[in-house]
Amino acid sequence: MTAEHGTPVSLSTASPDDPHMQPLARNPQRTERLIALAMFVGILGIVGFGVAYWYNANGWVYGVTLGGGITLLGFGITAWGKYLMPKGPFVEERHELRGTDEEREVFAAAVVQRGGGILGRRKLLAGMAGLGLAAFGVVAAFPLIRSLGPLPKKTLDETDWTKGSYLVDSTGRPVQVGDLAVGGIVTVFPKGYEDTENGQAVDQTVLIRLATTDYTTRPGRETWGPAGYVAYSKLCTHLGCPVGLYEQQLEKLVCPCHQSMFDVTNGAEPDFGPAPRPLPQLPIYVDGRGYLRAQGGYEEPVGPGFWERS
Amino acid sequence: MTLSLTRRLVLPVLVIVTVALSMLVLFAGGSSGASEQAQVISSTVTAAQQHTTPPAAYQTTRANAGTANSTNTVYVNGKLVAYGNSDITYVNPPSSLIPLGEALYAQNCASCHGNSADGVPANGTPGAFPNLRGLGSATIDFWIESGRMPAKDTTQVQALRKQQVLSKPEALAIAAYVTSLSPATPYIPVVHNISSANTSEGFSLFALNCAACHTITGGGDALASNTYAPSLRHIPATQVAEAIRTGPGNMPRFTGNLSDAQVRDIVAYVTLNIQHPVNPGGFGLGGLGPVAEGFVGLALGVGILALIAFWIGDRS
Repeated sequence: MTAEHGTPVSLSTASPDDPHMQPLARNPQRTERLIALAMFVGILGIVGFGVAYWYNANGWVYGVTLGGGITLLGFGITAWGKYLMPKGPFVEERHELRGTDEEREVFAAAVVQRGGGILGRRKLLAGMAGLGLAAFGVVAAFPLIRSLGPLPKKTLDETDWTKGSYLVDSTGRPVQVGDLAVGGIVTVFPKGYEDTENGQAVDQTVLIRLATTDYTTRPGRETWGPAGYVAYSKLCTHLGCPVGLYEQQLEKLVCPCHQSMFDVTNGAEPDFGPAPRPLPQLPIYVDGRGYLRAQGGYEEPVGPGFWERS
Repeated sequence: MTLSLTRRLVLPVLVIVTVALSMLVLFAGGSSGASEQAQVISSTVTAAQQHTTPPAAYQTTRANAGTANSTNTVYVNGKLVAYGNSDITYVNPPSSLIPLGEALYAQNCASCHGNSADGVPANGTPGAFPNLRGLGSATIDFWIESGRMPAKDTTQVQALRKQQVLSKPEALAIAAYVTSLSPATPYIPVVHNISSANTSEGFSLFALNCAACHTITGGGDALASNTYAPSLRHIPATQVAEAIRTGPGNMPRFTGNLSDAQVRDIVAYVTLNIQHPVNPGGFGLGGLGPVAEGFVGLALGVGILALIAFWIGDRS
């Protein structure tokens, strides 16, 4: 950037021999030829796109020909402007933006006096417009008020698991005591709810086999783990993600969202991560025909905490 | 003037080229390269658990779910040699391989798993050197054919998937020998007619049972306690089926909750769809989703736009 070039001048007063009027290119003929070459190749590309389209070529051919063609043309036009036009920089002074006093008075008279008079002449329509806006304001508040209710009542505390519910997999097949090997896991639902929205949202439960004999995960839950099967809610107590990652050797369930880890041998007590509470355990039993069934529903709400529950 | 322009362009062009090249190296061709090397695999069962769990713990009573309780069974000299159905056939290696397997076992396995294959108490690495009895030939075959066994470094939490140390016939021989010590299933699965399986059903089952750990693109992901779920790229159909049926390492064992037909659907989805992803953009960026894509979009897209603006404009 030389000093004489860097100072802006007015284009209208610049003489043809002014350095600002010279192109940026040192050798304009050569630059012109180069730019022409680039544009020519670009034109070939665009024509090539037509040919490719005619012959129904692969997608990438369209991209290369049309994209390349337009890019080269654009390059040529930009380079033309940059290297061959007068290099400048130029400035042009703006005219006075403020109107004259006379113009301003005429405008004010037109808007305030004449316009006001015309509007005031139609009091009925002005009133209608005002009423319409007021009605709209009231109606617009409805969705806001509606979103405050109804109260969820007991729906947050209960699931579809009831006494005697069969544990079925996602296809509706009831799980039998011999199905899982030790180290196996299956996501189960209460029979009849495996395809329902609520079933998939809140009833989903992981059934894990920890051993071949009855398994007690906590004092007081001696009958909850028949034949080594334990069942926990699949909803993370942190934010409700499905806790589907089971590490069978570590005997831990991991939540994919925030890496909470639950110890399935110890009532799904969280031993890492942000989950505040253990996963609720579903008490189950094996019926006379070998099917796994629920002793009852969950004893505590499943999923993350809500306002009545810290 | 032109010279100084060129000079001013050198640095930004270098930066963009470097970023673009590192993107290609990092993401081109999925996660097979770099991430696979950095991964380490495992065996973290407590030794006691492996020693005391009876063979029946690994079995299911459901028919056609990987055990002898199948549509067809083949006995030779009173011994079960194969079973299965039109979806998957489970075959034990021929007993003629047992003497070779015994010799290979003594050379390659006995130092860690014990002379009688009933395990050695782990010293330091939890779950190392487990009892191999009662596991079935599919388990033995999987660990050897995937190159994880013989393990290179027994102090690692998870054995590394690597180039096979033992050949396929050698793996079969060792599987034949170990299984003969304490007969158990599952045998080595042969998945039939993969190309005609129901990959749509396979996708659903994959999403429900596998994607939690291996991710929906099969790229694998980190798990707890320095373990990880490995990538499913470049895994042969037999090993996919073996892993599902035997639950290697920390992977759950899928027995009675998946029928052989369902396992076949999953194997088809993994080997046909997941292992051959359609990437309309050219590069899958490791199948990592919007984070990787956004990063490339910003770095390359905005970077190139910035360079163009830099070229068109002029300093004043």
